[in-house]
Amino acid sequence: MSSRLNFIPARLLQAIPVVFGVTLLVFFMAHLLPGDPAIAMLGDKATEERIAALRTQLGLDQPIWVQYGIFLAHLGQANLGDSLTYGRPVTELVLRAVPVTLSLVLFALVLSMVIGIPLAGLAATRPNGVNDLAVRTYTLVGQGMPQFWVGIMLILFLSLKLRLFPVGGYGSNITDHVYYLFVPALTLAIALSPTLIRSLRSSTINVLGSEYIATARSKGSGGVALFRQHVLRNAIIPTVSILGVNLGYLMGGSIIIEKVFALPGLGSLMLNAIFSRDFPTIQGVTLFVALFVVLIGILTDVVYTLLDPRVNFGSKERE
Amino acid sequence: MRKTNRIAFVGFLAATALVLSGCSAGTATGKSGGPSESAGPVMGGDLVIGRAPDAITMDSTSAQFENYSMAVFQQMGQALFEPSADGQKVVPLLATGFKASDDGLTYTIALRDDVTFSDGKPMTAKDVKFSIDADTATGHSGWGFVNDAIDKVNVVDDHTVGVVLKYPWAPIIGDLSMFSNAIVPENYGGKTVDEFYKAPVLTGPFMWGEWKKGQSLKLVKNPKYWEKGKPYLDSVVWNVVPDANTRKLQLQGGQIDINDTPDWSSYSSLDATAGLKTYAFPSTRIDYIALNTQREPFADVHVRRAIAFATNRKALVDAVLFGHGTVANSLLSPGTPFYDKDAPGPMYDVEKAKAELAQSSQPNGFKTTLLINSGNANHAAIAQIMQAQLKEIGITMEIKQLDSTANKQARLDSKFDMAISAWTMDIPDPDQWTTFALDPEGGSHSAFTYYNDPAVIAINKKAQREGDQAKRAELYKQLQKETGDAAFLVYLFYSPYAYAATDKVQGFNVTPLGNYHTGDMYKTK
Repeated sequence: MSSRLNFIPARLLQAIPVVFGVTLLVFFMAHLLPGDPAIAMLGDKATEERIAALRTQLGLDQPIWVQYGIFLAHLGQANLGDSLTYGRPVTELVLRAVPVTLSLVLFALVLSMVIGIPLAGLAATRPNGVNDLAVRTYTLVGQGMPQFWVGIMLILFLSLKLRLFPVGGYGSNITDHVYYLFVPALTLAIALSPTLIRSLRSSTINVLGSEYIATARSKGSGGVALFRQHVLRNAIIPTVSILGVNLGYLMGGSIIIEKVFALPGLGSLMLNAIFSRDFPTIQGVTLFVALFVVLIGILTDVVYTLLDPRVNFGSKERE
Repeated sequence: MRKTNRIAFVGFLAATALVLSGCSAGTATGKSGGPSESAGPVMGGDLVIGRAPDAITMDSTSAQFENYSMAVFQQMGQALFEPSADGQKVVPLLATGFKASDDGLTYTIALRDDVTFSDGKPMTAKDVKFSIDADTATGHSGWGFVNDAIDKVNVVDDHTVGVVLKYPWAPIIGDLSMFSNAIVPENYGGKTVDEFYKAPVLTGPFMWGEWKKGQSLKLVKNPKYWEKGKPYLDSVVWNVVPDANTRKLQLQGGQIDINDTPDWSSYSSLDATAGLKTYAFPSTRIDYIALNTQREPFADVHVRRAIAFATNRKALVDAVLFGHGTVANSLLSPGTPFYDKDAPGPMYDVEKAKAELAQSSQPNGFKTTLLINSGNANHAAIAQIMQAQLKEIGITMEIKQLDSTANKQARLDSKFDMAISAWTMDIPDPDQWTTFALDPEGGSHSAFTYYNDPAVIAINKKAQREGDQAKRAELYKQLQKETGDAAFLVYLFYSPYAYAATDKVQGFNVTPLGNYHTGDMYKTK
């Protein structure tokens, strides 16, 4: 099986130009925005003299190519520079924000599977039956509702009415984090689960109609065991790649959710950095997200390979 | 399989019910129990304040130091003087009083002898001289320009300093009350400036705790605070909660004690919620529209006056502030000393607007644009109302939206016709704003309007150096009339500072300059 994972080093190499391209694009796009960090930082009372002084202090009076060169040189030494707003190393800020966003996204992924797998199974058992229609209605509604609205509704119900969870924030230890992240993760999961349910439902229907399931049934298998061992194992393969693609979107969706729930994650960091034209932080966060998305792509292929013995990304004769 | 079906279906029903019941939970649910009045201040407890942005820096002399940093810093840092609770005058804080020489050039200031820094070291005249000199040294690249009039600071004895001026300067005591003139230990206690301000050691009721940037900032009680018995609270925390809706919900959920700047649209509903209290503190804020006199047709005073007369300020107060404000009649706000309540405006009068336009270079109207901040609901509302009002007198106004940084850049580059902006004061003296607003040398080309009237500038300069309060008042009265007539700024409205808090919070007061003193606050159980 290990030889089938030989594609990993090549894929990692391919990631380098992708990530480099992203830094180049983001660097120049960020600098194309009118206004610079000196203006953003100084607010409405600043005089031109003070803005000019701060520009010099921040090195913003240098030509843009020089600034990009400095950025690349620092990057070569694994140094993303200092945030202009916070005066702290960007690496430190990113590393502090990553666990928040990553736990949020993973938590959401787990919750969406907890919601999605049983619902998909339920819907696929009798296509067009009452259960199926109900599940399909849920997928429509779940996908149609804006995330920030769902978030606020969940806060109103779970946090203010039932007082089960806090209204936003992140807490200070692991138990806190799980507790604080539940509602935001559920919000994201409600948005993600419809995609999962639809894909899983249709592949489950296909698998249920296949001959090997009939064989398994004739041998006496049935119920949850049949579903877990024979149906799900085969039906989930296309869903894995869909989930992989959606994880990237999930990172994007987390920007809104982080704002609604006041979470100090990558989304909040990025949003603030853009508004304050904090170029090094914009670069740092983008770089990390790009790396993350590329790695998820590779990881998806790995999981795919492990789940389906027919898949071989290393071979030229693909199935 | 049947059992699995049922469980999953129940799960689905629960999810649906949850979403639906979420919809009906839109009405606010407050905490039970009414306000509990107690005999005296309650010791202990942590005060949590939710607000949208984080602080930027604790270095109060640096150019980056702004309002949100100031709110935190002022709980730790103290200057020789401070604005009074009504913001109308300056009262001693670390000083006990001052005496000005007859020529108005030397101010001898007596210091309190019981003040210590949070590390226990006593504050002396040497620390005071060092602090003011350090601020002055930042000049125009920091806040040091407020000390422009200061020639030197002398140490007279351990508890007396002499401030010698280059020329008579009426706002000097107000300037010394500025955050940038807060007293720090001599030579920053042996640290570098950067090291010092990462965990400043100051004289206020609270001292440095912990700063998780972009997340929260915590100050803790200063056990060595010189004002006996204070502070009452154990700590004060500022949490970054960017979304106004989330701040509102966090206040209702008891996660924060104070909501800094709730939306005016939700102000009344917060007020009606049991267990919560809203505050509208008189401010020094004035919202205005700057007219770029470098661009045609705004060089023409009749055009500017036409716009000023065509603006229905009452409609703006009702629509934007939901009635929580007053129409603006002067360059100065009511919270600023020397505000003239009888200043003539201009006020809303469509006939006068039409008459002014008829006299102008554009009797048949013209096309123009109004620059606003994108994503700012208040700006958008003002712009839409203005658009309709100007239409009435034949002016077609387009709305241009830019995010706040790009917007500021456009104003700096003078690439705008009309732009919405606002001002709040940092010292209880009108000079900070009048010089910025009408003196082209004030650093912003007269609030980016490029308005330049030597006669008006002369009045402002005279008021700066006038020591007699009655004469100063007369000068500022004249100034308010002249600037109103010139209409290079269209005054819109004065709005109070909005806050909402749980009714456990006691002693909360915000001065017109925006300062609050957590050292005077406590929380009932």
